[in-house]
Amino acid sequence: MKLNRRTFLGTAAAASMSAPAVYAGGHGKPRVVVVGGGAGGATAARYIAKDSKGAIDVTLIEPTRTYYTCFFSNLYLGGFKDVEDIGHSYGNLAAAGVNVVHDWAVGVDRDAKTVSLAGGASVAYDKLILSPGIDFVDGAVQGWDLSSQNAMPHAYKAGSQTELLKAQLAAMPSGGTFALVAPPNPYRCPPGPYERISMVAHYLKNNNPTAKIIVADPKPKFSKMALFQEGWANHYDGMIDWIGSEFGGSNVSVNPDAMTVTIDGEETKVDVCNVIPAMKAGRIADMAGVTDGRWAPVNAADMSTKADPDVYVLGDASQQGDMPKSGFSANSQAKVCANAVRGALTGSKVFPAKFSNTCWSLISTNDGVKVGATYEATDEKIAKVDGFISKTGESADVRQATYEESEGWYSGITADMFG
Amino acid sequence: MMKHILMPLFSVCFLSAPLGAFGDDQDADDTDEFDVSEEILSIKGDPEYGEYLSGDCTGCHQVDGSYDGIPSITGWDEESFVWAMHSYKEKAREHPVMQMMAGRLSNDEIAALAAYFATLE
Ligand SMILES: Cc1cc2nc3c(=O)[nH]c(=O)nc-3n(C[C@H](O)[C@H](O)[C@H](O)COP(=O)(O)OP(=O)(O)OC[C@H]3O[C@@H](n4cnc5c(N)ncnc54)[C@H](O)[C@@H]3O)c2cc1C
Ligand code: HEC
Repeated sequence: MKLNRRTFLGTAAAASMSAPAVYAGGHGKPRVVVVGGGAGGATAARYIAKDSKGAIDVTLIEPTRTYYTCFFSNLYLGGFKDVEDIGHSYGNLAAAGVNVVHDWAVGVDRDAKTVSLAGGASVAYDKLILSPGIDFVDGAVQGWDLSSQNAMPHAYKAGSQTELLKAQLAAMPSGGTFALVAPPNPYRCPPGPYERISMVAHYLKNNNPTAKIIVADPKPKFSKMALFQEGWANHYDGMIDWIGSEFGGSNVSVNPDAMTVTIDGEETKVDVCNVIPAMKAGRIADMAGVTDGRWAPVNAADMSTKADPDVYVLGDASQQGDMPKSGFSANSQAKVCANAVRGALTGSKVFPAKFSNTCWSLISTNDGVKVGATYEATDEKIAKVDGFISKTGESADVRQATYEESEGWYSGITADMFG
Repeated sequence: MMKHILMPLFSVCFLSAPLGAFGDDQDADDTDEFDVSEEILSIKGDPEYGEYLSGDCTGCHQVDGSYDGIPSITGWDEESFVWAMHSYKEKAREHPVMQMMAGRLSNDEIAALAAYFATLE
């Protein structure tokens, strides 16, 4: 069924194509395999399928049938969204011509140019795009490992983890304590933990106003710090105790059985503990042999890896330079990559790389802030060109307009990713 | 010139963004004074390049023209589009995101984007 449709499209496109297929040698249509149907992978698969009009065979490997966005998952914790609002299926990608395979990639053979799947199949590629997101560094927070994620959720991959954290938040006793262990740099979504603290505080203020939040942070400062601290003082005065590295925040261990957190030698019994450990590229990048340390170094012009010109890494897993690890960045990188991959495979025109990012955060009802920048490709890295950030002391109108924009952005970017 | 350009721009805005895309901070803007030269307006944009560049916009502005908190920019006439982009680029119109996005585009790139978005319904 699917084959027929794609074959048909392929013939139609081939007949009208003026540029020669430079890469088709030997096996018919060029093949792109994308691993990971999140922010980066879904965008890349959709753009290559859409823009090549059937001239490229695009397969997307993604184990889950519904992708829950981490972006806006904090708003779900705060009570501003339902979980259904942040779930996206892959039907529109399939309708756009992407061959969606729900399975895990478990190995990459770069010599044979094949990806092996947990279900036993093997998929051949001419170009491989990996956008697997993040995994956690073993032993990053003393006392915590993945087997503790039910007692102490990370909720840093959205879905059941986020729902679990929300249920734990709702079950907190009156006047209880919510602890958050923040990650060291670099990590996915620099303002993410602090937006989460804001949303948890918002929930508690309305439902459990004598509760407390303690934050152990291995960093001395964080993204949009002045804006968050101003907002916390305005909306949640006295509720949040942020302990940065200068005050022992990096010296932290947890005990998931006893539900205790020890910060700089001082043990506290807590009701909820959200542990966000140090991060690294999703495991498949390591298995493909394209990482150097925790991340996969890439060339800024097209997101190809330094290790292999036919393997590309997008989004959080890549080490690209100045862009923050965000859904917006992954989407932006995916479009540059899609243009370059399509050019390499079909001879279509390749335009110079341009990237951008904007990250909104919600501090309280109608109190939104944002930070953003534009970027270009240099020989060494993706380099920042220009940027802006919301200011402290802005009027309520400006903050509300910023929040409303973020709603528009969510609709826009998820349509750009998932069709 | 200014009146000629401004009229269609306003009508497009009110059609696609009934809440008023100019928002409350319109007072802070200087768009009444803003003018774009004939030379810039006469640049013929390359829609293929515009389609590629639009990747920088479609994370926020929806290609199907729906409005959800960020104004629709599809189906505008090219002059209005070029005028709007230059008003951000030259900082006559306030908005940090759009000033940054327009700020790095060349006159040819703005023309290319206008040509491409004009083709979308
Ligand atoms: C709380 C929170 C709030 C955030 N807020 C924002 C925000 O407001 N704005 C913003 O821009 N960003 C935000 N982010 C960041 C954003 O979610 C990530 O940066 C983005 O999702 C990265 O995209 P990606 O493609 O690299 O990875 P992901 O989106 O995580 O996608 C990876 C996909 O790969 C799949 N996968 C992994 N391994 C395999 C394998 N072996 N085989 C097959 N598939 C595999 C996974 O199932 C997953 O679907 C936030 C993140 C968090 C945690
Ligand atoms: C980060 C989100 C974001 C991105 C990316 C973005 N825009 Fe915008 N754009 C906005 C917002 C928000 C407004 C409304 C600004 C205002 O109130 O003046 C806007 C306004 C506009 C307007 C004027 C709309 C009107 O009704 O008057 C145009 C034209 C426009 N953008 C074009 C573009 C183009 C072209 C790009 C890509 C090069 C782009 N934008 C990228 C958020 C974005």
